Amino acid sequence: MSAPLLELRGLGRRFGGLQAVADLDLHVNAGEILGVIGPNGAGKSTTFNMIAGSIPPSAGEIWMDGQRMAQLAPHAFAARGILRTFQHNKPFESMTLCENVMVGMHTRVRYPLWQVLAGTPGSRRAEALAASKAMELLDFVGLGEWTAADVSTLSFGQGRLLEIARALAGEPRLILFDEPAAGLTASECERLAEIIRRIAARGIAVLLIEHDMHFLMALAERVAVLNFGRKIAEGTPAQVQQHPEVIQAYLGNVRSQPHA
Amino acid sequence: MKSLLGYLTAAIVLSAVAFLLGDYQTDIYRKLLLWITLALSYNFLFGIAGQVAFSHFTFYGIGAYAVVILVTQLHLPLLLAVPITVLICVIAALVVAIPATRLEGFYLALATLAFAQLFIVLLNEGGNLTGGTGGLANYQLPPILGMQLKGPAYTVVIVLLMLASLAAVWRLDRSYFGRACRAARDNPEAAAAMGVNVRSTRILAYTVTSALAGVAGMVYAFVDNTVSPVIFGLENSFLLLFMIIIGGSGQHAGAILGAVLLYVMPFLLSPLIGHHHALVFGLFMVLAVMFQPAGLIGLWRNWRRGSEATGTRPANAPGEGRA
Repeated sequence: MSAPLLELRGLGRRFGGLQAVADLDLHVNAGEILGVIGPNGAGKSTTFNMIAGSIPPSAGEIWMDGQRMAQLAPHAFAARGILRTFQHNKPFESMTLCENVMVGMHTRVRYPLWQVLAGTPGSRRAEALAASKAMELLDFVGLGEWTAADVSTLSFGQGRLLEIARALAGEPRLILFDEPAAGLTASECERLAEIIRRIAARGIAVLLIEHDMHFLMALAERVAVLNFGRKIAEGTPAQVQQHPEVIQAYLGNVRSQPHA
Repeated sequence: MKSLLGYLTAAIVLSAVAFLLGDYQTDIYRKLLLWITLALSYNFLFGIAGQVAFSHFTFYGIGAYAVVILVTQLHLPLLLAVPITVLICVIAALVVAIPATRLEGFYLALATLAFAQLFIVLLNEGGNLTGGTGGLANYQLPPILGMQLKGPAYTVVIVLLMLASLAAVWRLDRSYFGRACRAARDNPEAAAAMGVNVRSTRILAYTVTSALAGVAGMVYAFVDNTVSPVIFGLENSFLLLFMIIIGGSGQHAGAILGAVLLYVMPFLLSPLIGHHHALVFGLFMVLAVMFQPAGLIGLWRNWRRGSEATGTRPANAPGEGRA
């Protein structure tokens, strides 16, 4: 088997006296959908934020494609091919959908600033190409009709799709979803799952952090379960659901209250 | 090509006007063009990059003083003095921006206010170099390649400066850099997640716009052929802010409209209320902030959108929406 795209080695994060994540080993392969679940306070979000680069780990290492991600600023993660969506949509509100997606290309569409000022043919071509790529991505997530609309006209679910198009614009090799199904209707969830499968089919590694068990179990190829900052189980959705510790920590509750 | 034709037409028309005006009107016309120039670059900084800075007029002053000192006291040729002045503005902008952008927006406002005040103190205390409270006067634009630019010809220089500034902010706004500026303003966290280096984007926006203000200041220095501390005080920095907010923050057309309106208004109002036009500005400002945050240009857009009354969704394409 080839080396994994993303690898966490002994990753840990301490907030004062609280060990939010401890000694976490995890990996994701290209084109794979990995789900991470766990009850509230299990350390899912902390793990997510460390991989996305918004908080530095206090122990352990993050390896991306054979390279260690050491002490990088958050914006450097996008250039390395790690892009994310936000649980609470964070669009750029003064821009159209198309422009929002074009911001996602920031690390990919670059030319010197003097070319901007001079309006060189090269910079114009790059802009035109970026705009047409943004249209394609909006089509891909099903927002192709509204490319010129303001983001304020979108529903919450459409806003989530825009987040995905914007992250894809950065040509990710790993895309991180922070509870993508949260706040979506059942039909929106179905559509979202389909889009995520198609993203993985493009060879992009997908890491999902999710509360919605039904959504995750139907989608993920492999699931890791966290509890109190530690990984207590890992395997296929079916394997994880049988795991005694998981049943006790998490799924037990879900079984007695299927809609919790 | 189409935009080039537009700029060319504007250059010809605005330059032709210069040849029709008398001395007094020429002075008003030149200063109007300079206010528009300043408003355009300040709009990029305040309206597009979202940085609340009060130093824009200070850089106008730095540009004016620097070029005069370099030419008249150090006797440098103009072709050397101009790039050195730009360099001075860039360095001053970096000195302010690098520490200030580490902090949140509020502190940038404070830091730039302090910088603006410091500049006035330095001018007043500058001895022979700055001419103290009286400033510098009795100098002239040195001949350029043996030609003495004066009268309408110098007004044409100002027309070209204004149009070049318009082209610069327009193109920056439509580029990845303009999008990064807006993204860093709208949502810094999401911008960083998309790979935008929020801090360096802010520093660059501040530096580029401040340098544009400095260039305008250089041109201004030879309009009145006098520079003094009174001209570059905070009052004009606030007037610039009023122009942007009343005209329509973040919109190039709004900046132009605001600059024209607020520059011309005192002339129209003085027969009625004398020199109390600041009162009217204040009233407009309060009304704009409370009821029309998109400014006058937003009002016009809404009206136009309403009168078109087309489909169910707003269809302002990325290309046409912001003029």
